[in-house]
Amino acid sequence: MTSSSEDDFGRDLYSIPSSSNWFQWDEIHGTERRELPDFFDGSAASRNVRVYKEYRDFIINKFREDPSRRLTFTEVRKSLIGDVGTLRKVFLFLERWGLINFGVSDGRPRPTEEVGPRVVVEEPGAGVQVMPASSKLASGRSVAAATAAGAGETGFRLPPLSSYSDVFGDWAPGKGPVCAVCGDQCVSGRHEPLMEGGFVVCLKCSKTENEIEGKSADDNSDRVDGNANHATGAWTDAETLLLLEAVLKHGDDWDLIAQHVRTKNRLDCIARLIQLPFGDHMLGTFSGKYDAKNSGNQATNTKAIQHASSELLPEPKTDGHVHNDVNEKVEEESIPVHPSKRRHIQAIANATDSLMKQVALLSTVAGPHVAATAAEAAVTALSDENPWAGEVFNIDEDEARKKRKSFPTNNEPKSDVKVEDQDVEMHKQTDTPVLSEKNFSATAFQTKAAIATALGAAAARAKLLADQEGREMELLVASIIEAQMRKIQYKIKHFKELEFIMEKEYTLIQQMKESLLDKWVEVIQQIFQAGIPRWKDNVFPKSLWNHGS
Amino acid sequence: MKSLPPGASKAPIKFRMPTAENLIPIRLDIEIDGQRYKDAFTWNPNDPDSEVVSFAKRTVKDLKLPPTFMTQIAQSIQTQLAEFRSYEGQDMHIKEKIVPLKIDLRVNNIVIRDQFLWDVSNFENDPEEFARTLCEDLNIGDPEVGPAIAVAIREQLYEVAAQSVSSARETRVGKKGRRGIENVTNSKTGNSALDLLKLFGSKGSVIRKRKEWYLYEPIVDLLSNEEVGALDAREELSAR
Repeated sequence: MTSSSEDDFGRDLYSIPSSSNWFQWDEIHGTERRELPDFFDGSAASRNVRVYKEYRDFIINKFREDPSRRLTFTEVRKSLIGDVGTLRKVFLFLERWGLINFGVSDGRPRPTEEVGPRVVVEEPGAGVQVMPASSKLASGRSVAAATAAGAGETGFRLPPLSSYSDVFGDWAPGKGPVCAVCGDQCVSGRHEPLMEGGFVVCLKCSKTENEIEGKSADDNSDRVDGNANHATGAWTDAETLLLLEAVLKHGDDWDLIAQHVRTKNRLDCIARLIQLPFGDHMLGTFSGKYDAKNSGNQATNTKAIQHASSELLPEPKTDGHVHNDVNEKVEEESIPVHPSKRRHIQAIANATDSLMKQVALLSTVAGPHVAATAAEAAVTALSDENPWAGEVFNIDEDEARKKRKSFPTNNEPKSDVKVEDQDVEMHKQTDTPVLSEKNFSATAFQTKAAIATALGAAAARAKLLADQEGREMELLVASIIEAQMRKIQYKIKHFKELEFIMEKEYTLIQQMKESLLDKWVEVIQQIFQAGIPRWKDNVFPKSLWNHGS
Repeated sequence: MKSLPPGASKAPIKFRMPTAENLIPIRLDIEIDGQRYKDAFTWNPNDPDSEVVSFAKRTVKDLKLPPTFMTQIAQSIQTQLAEFRSYEGQDMHIKEKIVPLKIDLRVNNIVIRDQFLWDVSNFENDPEEFARTLCEDLNIGDPEVGPAIAVAIREQLYEVAAQSVSSARETRVGKKGRRGIENVTNSKTGNSALDLLKLFGSKGSVIRKRKEWYLYEPIVDLLSNEEVGALDAREELSAR
């Protein structure tokens, strides 16, 4: 190294990663001795400390001639004498430590392990500045974070193959945030915000991180279990093939399958297989287990519905205190599949209670006329169905009819009274048969009648609502059309005005033209009379314009 | 990192390729009934010999060559393997030796010429790695170029290594009064090793003179299709 080149470096500052701040022009650091021992153990004549220093200094100087350009090994080795293998080692060593090609962008993947806290160290003698941070890497990170926050579609890259499609359709393409680690689309619920500058890391990545850190993957696998229906975006073709192969070979021994796939854990494999369009067929006999797991909610629902429907037939209890409302009934439906016996009975009672209550409520909402008609229709239908029911209802039919007649006059202004009346009516309907010592089927019929009434009332109410909504919609559409019409009319008016103005202007211009022509002729005549041989160009237009205006 | 001793000169080691991986270069040039098959690749001498036949079968099938090629290919590979094995087991006396290697290759329509120094005694050197870096640095996209360069390097290294065995043999023989042969072999190859002391000693500089840079710089030419055709024709002629 010549002294002049050293002066050059005294003036310029170069960025190197803070991890390489051991570097000194005039010294050999322990790192260099450790990583390139060939030069320092005196084993070969062509490799010694002096040669190393010359290599190193030359390569670094060469890079710093133009720090924005990437220095290649091929460029370096033409100017250095020595074994290309050894030269390459030195070159790679310097590149790895960021002493050359640091912060040069050429699209090649760069090792990012140097990210970390950085220190500013000013080395006046050596002319090397250690930058606080690699701005390039930092910006790259922030971009990733920005994309993650902005939910960009950039990270989404699933080929449109059928085997890639998620049959459960849980994810929405382009809606989930982008994982900052793997760049994949994160499915909602499968990512968790790690406290690393606020960018999102998807579960898969965070898991691999955890595994690397040696944490037990159990708590993660629990989470995966919960989200087993979600898409795992990062299954490659090869992995899927391995999985299918393993399933064919090992059947449902998921531990063996996971071992075969290697890159994925047991739960991932299960989740992936059931996501495949044909996964169920492959699983064959043991698919039922997973079906139940998947459609667990559905199963519970259907069972609950069965309960509810069977609850309606047994004898109802029509005691006075009603403490269950509609919401509670819904909750009741979603109780565990096999409840204890006591709860079972309670459920029936509650269902009947709330059924009566609901009937009352619905008929109140629908109005007394509608409710009465619905009840009558229900009773008639039941009578047709079974003569027994007719007898049951005949007892108080007259009474009910009377009541119906008196309804319109009594109950129009106060809605509270209506409820009471309805309740009374219902109670009557239910109470009378009990007193008349008919067997329990009477109450069953009455329950049926009540249900039918409620349904009828609800339907009527719904129709009313629908009619109202329809009217409202018509009204709105009409108003929209009207507004549009008005807009068009305004426009037409505007255009007419414009046309009028244009016509006016046109006539004006025509007049102007005529007057101009007259003037022109006049002037020419004057010129002839005056005998002026020629005129100055600039005079005429001016005067003409003046006349014109 | 290989655990091989860097100073291979001290303890004589058994013959092998002086590279990280003990792969030997194989070159095939077979012509049957006007049809010519040329190829170059590396072969692991530790592979079982049955591989040779299956390789030949596969090659003939893949390239749709007439079946007569199969025996020829297998035979050629076997011969070259046998040559290598004849050296195996012998001691190799490689002192630290840096030799200039020359590359002058045409792969498809790319011509590449290059010269660089190679330490034959450095058993960590990896021709494939070097060739890959070279292609990356020169932006050569053709995937055939890198392996071709690596094979060319290996061929030259193989030659040097074989010499080190035979020259050791010659020196033994030479003591009995036949010194002439050694000189002949040395001058024939022309792979004169560098004077290490002069270059790497305390006086010399390892930075090459600027005017010599061009000698050690890779030159890549892209040929047009016509040029490729002309070169092919010429090679055809010279081969006959």
